[in-house]
Amino acid sequence: MDLMVCVGSSCHLQNSREIINRFKELIASHELEDRVTLKGSFCMGHCADEGVCVKYDEQVYGVTVNNIDEFFETQVAGRLE
Amino acid sequence: MQELTDIVQIKHEVLKLTAEHAFAGTLFDQSEQIPYEMIPGIKPRFRCCVYREREIVRQRVRMAMGKLPIDVMYTDKDSTQVVHVIPCACEGCPISKITVTPNCQSCLAKKCVKACPFGAITSTPSGAVIDQSKCRKCGKCVAACPYNAIVEIERPCRRSCPVKAISMDENDIATIDPDKCVNCGACVTGCPFGAISDVSMMVNVIEALRDEGKEVVAMIAPAIEGQFGTDTLPQIKQAIRRVGFDDVYEVALGADMVAYSEAGELLERKEAGEKMTSSCCPAFVNMVRKHFPDLMKYVSTTVSPMVAVERYIRSQKPNVVTVFIGPCIAKKNEVMAGYVDEIDYALTFEELYAMMCARNVFDTDGEVQEDGDEDATRYGKGFALSGGVTGAVKRVLEERGETADIQALKCNGADECRKAMMLLKAGRLPEDFVEGMFCVGGCMGGPATLNELQRSKKVFEGRLGGADSVVRNVEDKKLDQADIHRHN
Repeated sequence: MDLMVCVGSSCHLQNSREIINRFKELIASHELEDRVTLKGSFCMGHCADEGVCVKYDEQVYGVTVNNIDEFFETQVAGRLE
Repeated sequence: MQELTDIVQIKHEVLKLTAEHAFAGTLFDQSEQIPYEMIPGIKPRFRCCVYREREIVRQRVRMAMGKLPIDVMYTDKDSTQVVHVIPCACEGCPISKITVTPNCQSCLAKKCVKACPFGAITSTPSGAVIDQSKCRKCGKCVAACPYNAIVEIERPCRRSCPVKAISMDENDIATIDPDKCVNCGACVTGCPFGAISDVSMMVNVIEALRDEGKEVVAMIAPAIEGQFGTDTLPQIKQAIRRVGFDDVYEVALGADMVAYSEAGELLERKEAGEKMTSSCCPAFVNMVRKHFPDLMKYVSTTVSPMVAVERYIRSQKPNVVTVFIGPCIAKKNEVMAGYVDEIDYALTFEELYAMMCARNVFDTDGEVQEDGDEDATRYGKGFALSGGVTGAVKRVLEERGETADIQALKCNGADECRKAMMLLKAGRLPEDFVEGMFCVGGCMGGPATLNELQRSKKVFEGRLGGADSVVRNVEDKKLDQADIHRHN
């Protein structure tokens, strides 16, 4: 499944690079390399939402450094099990 | 291949003003002013009114800022898509494919009427008339007319697209099917109204450059030589440093690594009786992935030179921000869809040039440029032109004293690439190795180049220097120790 992180200029200012790096670590620590593919994305048009736009399984979420671990556990790793 | 047309000029102006605001830190407050800075007053230059012109500029500014044109409807499908129609700029060209021109003499023979298998043509005293509802666009009348008065024309965007990804919506506005599009950028240069463009990561790069705490390195594609007139590679590197980059690496060094790796891979495959294609051109790889998925197993698992050189840089400086700069629009898609966790950003030469103008780097106060080092061999640099990958891989085999008889097919441009893949699919490809380059001429013929192919090629070939042993260059620099295979 594709996990897409927006790197458009608005999300970039909210530090989408850090989000990508943290996702990379989380995918590795959960050993999900074969099942989750990290991709970049141009603007998804949800710039007004809180956090960096992340799309997973057709849904768009606002992810910040504070909620990223919880998001990954519940929405990504949790759903794959 | 681009002449300095009005379209290129407008695109450049938008990128330059966006870059100026981004460097000054005023972009997010003032981006809405850019259309007015560019087009003041009330007199239109090209379009029906000044308001439409400004709206087009506004959408272009969005794209320069990494956003999609606001009325693009298919963002939910694939947001790694780089090439987009700017709907307000599309003229919806009212072209029916087969048209009678004024050359029609209303002759007695009426070969067109007789040639049409669908009864779509009637003869009137003022010339032949085609009933478009009956016409099936077979072209028989075009061939039949003794005056060449019937012509077949297609909308330029559709004609330019090598994978038939462009169709028209109910208002005749062009739309791109991202499931088919390989992001090659042919339509970007193909549309005579400049209504198709590529999303940029330029603002992200400028933000990184403005951040004192970040070390940002540029990775320049070999096609850069010849883009800035007769400037030498060390001069170009210096200009890039003046934009604000901390260091500049040649992607041709990655090309040396790729040639070294692909030569070994090719021998293994040849022994196993398998064919192999190159993997450096992202539009070619996208075409295989989207249109010939069964053939992905033949694509070399060696990464592209961009990724190879990035992994080499990253092994020495783990925390740098890496920025690829090339003539290629599809590279942005490669970065976003495949390597976003490795390579930070990809820029085009157009965007680099806009940043250079915004930073006024050409005003050097007569400063003398000393000769700098060049990292790569002439064979790695050769990846920029059609035939270059084959040349480099063969060079490695020769240097290693391999005598295996390797037959290579150089596919110069999208049509040749597609033909080769159809032959491969049918099991009728005689060659062992396919070099796939989607742009005619190779990367130097790419859609985001600054200079016309024939002119830049002349400078490039006249200057082609550098070491001449690929094996020695790779082994001396210990480049063969990095992992340069893709894993997905």
